[in-house]
Amino acid sequence: MDFLGEGLRRAVALLLSGDVEVYGIALLTLKIGVIATVLACGLGIPVGFVLATRPFWGRRAALTVVNTALAFPTVVVGLLLYGLLSRRGPLGGVEWLYTWQAIVVGDVVLAFPIAAALAAAAVQGVDPRIRRTAETLGAGRWRTAWTVAREARFALAAVITTAFGHVVAEIGSAMTVGGNIRGQTRTLTTAVALYTSQGDFGLALALGLILLLLALLVNVALQTLQGRGHA
Amino acid sequence: MLELVAVRHRYDGRVVLDIERFAVPPGSGVAIVGPNGSGKSTLLRLLALLERPSEGEVRLDGVVVAGAKTPRAGAVARRRITLVEQRPVLLRGTVRENLEFGLQVRGIRRSEVNRKVEGVAARLGIASLLHRRRHELSDGEVQRVAVARALAVEPDVLLLDEPASSADRAAAQTLYRALTEERARRPLAVCLASHQLEDAYRWADDVRALAEGRLSPVTPENLFRVDLPSGGSGDLKHVCVGTIEIAAATDKTGPAILAVPPTDIFVSREPLASSARNVFTGRVTRLTHQRPGAVLVTADVGVELVAVVTEEAARDLGLTPGGPVVFSFKATAVRVF
Repeated sequence: MDFLGEGLRRAVALLLSGDVEVYGIALLTLKIGVIATVLACGLGIPVGFVLATRPFWGRRAALTVVNTALAFPTVVVGLLLYGLLSRRGPLGGVEWLYTWQAIVVGDVVLAFPIAAALAAAAVQGVDPRIRRTAETLGAGRWRTAWTVAREARFALAAVITTAFGHVVAEIGSAMTVGGNIRGQTRTLTTAVALYTSQGDFGLALALGLILLLLALLVNVALQTLQGRGHA
Repeated sequence: MLELVAVRHRYDGRVVLDIERFAVPPGSGVAIVGPNGSGKSTLLRLLALLERPSEGEVRLDGVVVAGAKTPRAGAVARRRITLVEQRPVLLRGTVRENLEFGLQVRGIRRSEVNRKVEGVAARLGIASLLHRRRHELSDGEVQRVAVARALAVEPDVLLLDEPASSADRAAAQTLYRALTEERARRPLAVCLASHQLEDAYRWADDVRALAEGRLSPVTPENLFRVDLPSGGSGDLKHVCVGTIEIAAATDKTGPAILAVPPTDIFVSREPLASSARNVFTGRVTRLTHQRPGAVLVTADVGVELVAVVTEEAARDLGLTPGGPVVFSFKATAVRVF
């Protein structure tokens, strides 16, 4: 227990001292998390809408693919991306391997199916009469989608929260394509793994606490936004 | 003119609608009557261009706007037709925002939107509800708001699915009065689906029966267009229908529709000594098993009348096509619209 208590004391001290490295890692994680969530949800939510509302050939197969992709092992995604981004890979020219951009790409690949599948479920949960009502009142495709989205706002907010949570907690892909380079690609999860393996439990715990805090803040922010909505 | 032409519509491979032609002419009042599950709501959704028929076409002024082989109808065509569903829902926001919705998507100026919203709210008697949200309304109020929302956009065709199903008598009367005023104010075709004959009669320029997805070639049972005389003893009027004279208890005069509910007709082999003012002798022309336990007895008694009896009663009376039969009903059983 002393070991755990000591770790906690070290964590609090590091957080209160404004340690540059600790906050640098947190800020990088936040940046990667926000960018990846925006991209994954920006792509995934419209795809979820289409899957939920538009009948087309192969729709069921597409839904199966998206649902299956939810279970993608993050390390495998990292490995595939590594193959694509490495110097000998087809995308080696962009020189993104071991950069934070590569971590973003990996996170988007992982969070996209989450956004698409959960958005599809959220939209399917909206009373179909809402869509018919918007259409019969003359709304076009975009206005109808917006009307349905307003009805599904709580579920869609949960989609964003889940995607963000997945992105900031992900480690397999970030480690593989980011390389855990100090000051450049070290995120909260890769740092926690590193410092734990090095026996610096206090620092690992401090970073873990920040990770929890980030997740908490995002949830609170989204709940506050939801709370402003009325029926 | 809004038309369905050679439409066969399927859900999961099952044909739910099979209609050679169905038209809603400009400014007309068309009523579709039929039991629950007969395909009325599907028919209205096809007319509203919310679904594409599996086979056949929907035409608007002769132009195909939805069909099995055409893309989904665009907003331009849909904006001429508005559907109020049987259990309508309000969109998120206040009643006012709901009434504004259709006007806003049409890009109408704010001042015009306000004018139209307040006008239609006054006509439907919902002005006091404008600031309320959907969870603050009763089912009847939601239905009235939904009709007001549909009328606000001034469609060419208004489709109503059981519009008075959630309304009490007073609310239903307000609703029908508003629809009458609207039709008097501007050219508006109303197509109403109902399982209640009374609703159908209110709008019946043309009453069509729908059963198991097919339009009946005959009008619903026992409907007669008549001209009610101004005289008569008290409120009892005798009206010639075909070769018979029907006694009806009504104070109305002039053009009207008489309806004799098939369940209000007593069927016997011999005339009964009773208080019924209408007793007609004729022959059974058809026996139809309507649903388990019930038989529709169609008889020629000078005009064709239909009564409904139990299978046991039909058996006990020995009813057979061509056999003699007596139909009796009270003058108060005759409904006048």
